[in-house]
Amino acid sequence: MTVYAAPLRDMKFVIKELAGLEEVAALPDYQDLGVTDVADAILEEAGKFAAEVLAPLNWTGDQDGARLENGQVISTPGFADAYKQFAEGGWNGLGAPAELGGQGLPEIINTPTYEMWNASNMSFALAPLLCAGATECLKHHGTEEQKTVYLPRMVAGEWAGTMDLTEPAAGSDLSNVKTRATPAGDRYLLNGQKIFITWGDHDMTDNIIHLVLARLPDAPEGVKGISLFLAPKFLVNPDGSLGARNSGLTCISIEHKLGIHGSATCTLAYEDAIGYLVGKPNQGLMQMFTMMNEARLKVGVQGLAISERGYQAALAYAKERVQGYPMKGARGGDRVTIINHPDIRRMLMTMKSQIEAMRALNYVIAMHMDIAGHHPDPATRKAHQARLDLLIPVTKGWCSELGNEVTSTGVQIFGGMGFVEETGAAQHYRDARIAAIYEGTTGIQAADLAGRKLVMDKGQAMLDLIADMHKVEEQLGKAGGDDLAVIEAFLGQGIEALNGATQWMLATIAQDASSVMAMSVNYLMLVGYVCGGWQMARAALVAQQKLAAGDDPEFHEAKLITARFYAEQILPKATALMSAIKAGGRSTLALAEGQF
Amino acid sequence: MSVLVIAEHDNASIKKATLNTVTAAGKIGGDIHILVAGKDCDGAAQTAAKVAGVSKVLVADAPQYNHELAENIAPLVAKLAAGYSHVLAPATTMCKNFMPRVAALLDVAQISEIIAVESADTFVRPIYAGNVLVTAKSSDPIKVITVRGTSFDAAPAEGGSAAVEAVDPTPEAGLSSYVSQELTKSERPELTAARIVVSGGRALGSYEEFHKQLEPLADKLGAAIGATRAAVDAGYAPNDYQVGQTGKVVAPELYIGIGLSGAIQHLAGMKDSKVIVAINKDEEAPIFQVSDYGLVADLFTAVPELTKAI
Amino acid sequence: MKLLVAVKRVVDYNVNVRSKSDGTGPDIANAKMSMNPFDEVAIEEAVRLKEAGKATEIVAVSMGLKACEETIRTAMAMGADRGILVETDAQLQPLAVAKVLKALVAKEQPQAVLLGKQAIDDDCNQTGQMLAALLGWAQGTFLSKLEVGDGKAIVIREVDGGLETDEIKLPAVLTVDLRLNEPRFVKLPNIMKAKKKPLEVIKPADLGVDVDPRLAYSNFRDPPKRQAGIKVKTVAELVEKLKNEAKVI
Repeated sequence: MTVYAAPLRDMKFVIKELAGLEEVAALPDYQDLGVTDVADAILEEAGKFAAEVLAPLNWTGDQDGARLENGQVISTPGFADAYKQFAEGGWNGLGAPAELGGQGLPEIINTPTYEMWNASNMSFALAPLLCAGATECLKHHGTEEQKTVYLPRMVAGEWAGTMDLTEPAAGSDLSNVKTRATPAGDRYLLNGQKIFITWGDHDMTDNIIHLVLARLPDAPEGVKGISLFLAPKFLVNPDGSLGARNSGLTCISIEHKLGIHGSATCTLAYEDAIGYLVGKPNQGLMQMFTMMNEARLKVGVQGLAISERGYQAALAYAKERVQGYPMKGARGGDRVTIINHPDIRRMLMTMKSQIEAMRALNYVIAMHMDIAGHHPDPATRKAHQARLDLLIPVTKGWCSELGNEVTSTGVQIFGGMGFVEETGAAQHYRDARIAAIYEGTTGIQAADLAGRKLVMDKGQAMLDLIADMHKVEEQLGKAGGDDLAVIEAFLGQGIEALNGATQWMLATIAQDASSVMAMSVNYLMLVGYVCGGWQMARAALVAQQKLAAGDDPEFHEAKLITARFYAEQILPKATALMSAIKAGGRSTLALAEGQF
Repeated sequence: MSVLVIAEHDNASIKKATLNTVTAAGKIGGDIHILVAGKDCDGAAQTAAKVAGVSKVLVADAPQYNHELAENIAPLVAKLAAGYSHVLAPATTMCKNFMPRVAALLDVAQISEIIAVESADTFVRPIYAGNVLVTAKSSDPIKVITVRGTSFDAAPAEGGSAAVEAVDPTPEAGLSSYVSQELTKSERPELTAARIVVSGGRALGSYEEFHKQLEPLADKLGAAIGATRAAVDAGYAPNDYQVGQTGKVVAPELYIGIGLSGAIQHLAGMKDSKVIVAINKDEEAPIFQVSDYGLVADLFTAVPELTKAI
Repeated sequence: MKLLVAVKRVVDYNVNVRSKSDGTGPDIANAKMSMNPFDEVAIEEAVRLKEAGKATEIVAVSMGLKACEETIRTAMAMGADRGILVETDAQLQPLAVAKVLKALVAKEQPQAVLLGKQAIDDDCNQTGQMLAALLGWAQGTFLSKLEVGDGKAIVIREVDGGLETDEIKLPAVLTVDLRLNEPRFVKLPNIMKAKKKPLEVIKPADLGVDVDPRLAYSNFRDPPKRQAGIKVKTVAELVEKLKNEAKVI
């Protein structure tokens, strides 16, 4: 059981100094909202809600997770009330447009709040995350009637939303979806089984709106024959009031999982369940990708969030736990708290620096989403969209993998007490594990990066990114100071590694695609580490300026040193990964199956 | 220089906090007078007259001073204050209610909850919940001060023979009236709000011993009872007694840990206690590293002895 | 009934404040700031009175630096209708604050002023009582319950050893304790609305109030460190230490 306090100081620094809050706030769609005026207040109040309502339920959710009773999922005690408060607080509608009852705030504000929800209670946060995805999908592809009836209630948090994709034989490969949809008047009857449906059933809202992939009778094979349907748990009358239970749709079991016990992972049986077509027939997968991209980005934020939570727990413990003597002290003198031991410092700095790098990357991505979606100039929108598309698999894969590492380091700092469940460190480690798996495993993300995003423009988006990184490298050289000089040198090596690996990937993919695929996760991680280094270098530039101006020296000095640590101790991984990549996939792929 | 001390009393006798305030007044110097304002408060005036070091007791005995309503008391004290360099009152809720009102009527600052007197115009007081101490120097002609009782010893209640003098009452202000009072019942306090917590660990050995050893001590101290997770898991105490990481977090003025080793999860729930006492027969028990007073002893003899001694 | 609620911007209650090493003040240069928790209870109570139809308008007031606007915005997000900032960089002590509030009462003519019983920075517990004295109003301090009636209020006050019930005439000054209510979480839409609520900025001089401090504060320091624990030999010695040294029994 650990406490959580939103890292407001760093969040504000990143949105203002690195992610360009002012630029986003000036976009025509946002300029009437006064985003810069309300940003601090929103983050502070969200932080309060996360710390005081959601965080105390995190451990309860782990120990007293969701249960299935008589076909109904009973959520963790306290979750339903918290969800009600969350909805009434208007947090569910933060990013939704005003005409649907939301606040229409930009992603640059939404993303820090997502970090807070997920850090304070990852299981809980999945419910609004899925609802936001379903809302977004319906907003783009639903009929006018569907939008009018369902969206305002989903935005208000009265009804929840889910995405029902996976089936027993269709996981990472959705082309094998078997659920059938048979026309029945203005509606369809759905038959099949969906598994791993996050928050697929619960008692926190009056209704649950499922978006379901299924095949029409005459649909072609494969991904081009999948359509999207809306299946509510309770049927909805035209006036929006609730009708009968959609009795063909039942939760038949929930999974016993390694982590996120508070979130029910459901198997849903569709037996003549009533559904309505969303969008055009056979376009389901494309439409679903609207919400999948969004979800992937948010899973990247989850990796960041759970790392932050694990770090806060470990840091508190390191400042409290007395054990051993100082390096220079004499035995028999006073014992010290373990934060005084160099190896504990190494672990804390490793956690802290990577968390700050992840935060910067995720919030910068949020800015790209805002500009790509809302800038008046099409060329500007396009440029930001290209950067966004490139970075989606990177943040999803890299941050979720780091989430595993950082929370594991957190357990390590607790030592034996970390292996004991009671301290709560282990929960963060277990909860983190799913992020690298769902919404496309790290392997899937890497394949998307190396096989699609990198090659579709012949590497142009990546080369543009590298060019941007070089600009920061140049600024570091001009700015002066020992810290920035060191960061410049290490960032230079990192960019070189990224460039070298990128050239190899581009040169190799045509003749040896499997070798590229075998190296794709290495490549994804390399891109992640160098992106992190790039953002930390930008942070260091700002920090040095602020320090010179005497502005909040404690924070900015720590930022400068943390950026230097990242450059010296984390960035060299990029060079090692480049060597591995350039060695190619031969040894990875050479063994015959029987030799394993 | 002369100091007027406002008595905290129940009409029959003065309260101990008044004696601590007299000591603080003594450190300022000059004559010390006590004001007893109340209704039928002669008994209190007589006990005030016996306090060592007090030269005069002023008595304002009138119905409007019953229950010491601020609107009625403040004008009286402000009127009398004209003859003094200092007006002191104990920092009790009763005096904290009317003293700032006195200060404002006199157009002077109040110095709240002093813990030390440096000179006649300079005092020490805690701020930020006691995390910082600060020296406050007043330039006002009359110093209006409340005194934290625990920072000054009580003046001897006997030995003085002050003159008792009646003063004219000020009129009923007609702004407020007393309705009723409900004093907290003295049953065992709630764990997280208790001033004293007595906590037991697995060394108590059984449900029966846990209660037999701890309850008499807790009753005598007016303390809440807590337990370690080990004691709760062993069935010695109910779940809601558990202090620690997964139980309740307490920060009482006095925490007495009995027969518990001080596992880190337990420490997380009580380490902010003001004074920590540990009784354990294992002198290597980690609880001794955080305790202010450690007693290495068999709890089954030490606890009954302690219960008897307090 | 119109209510004036005073809210103070203070170092957040989670911050563990230490003094500066040179003793010139508390070390709070970059500390997180929040609304004084007692004042939050005061705002909450005012909003509940309005929701219950007993209050018609709530004016939130703060004093100090420009940044106090954030605290007023929070009060407005909780439900205050408008705000007044008395902007000054002077060090404000309770008597000065009470005088400014008195001037604002003259300007706004509220039927009650609500505020926290004390601020968690200077821990003075004076302002409300001083204001009541300056106005010649009744005061209800340390409230754990408030019932507003016609021209009067029944107040339950937290006193040493229990609760006291008094009846006081209105208008009055009411200072609140933490158990009076549990302040609501601020809702996101209300943060957005608060931005558009009117906030008037005035100077102490506009009100003709002298805010010069009466007390000179110096030598800010940390309290003496907790002494390293000792082992006592006997129960008698333990009791003696608890009584005379620690003074806890």
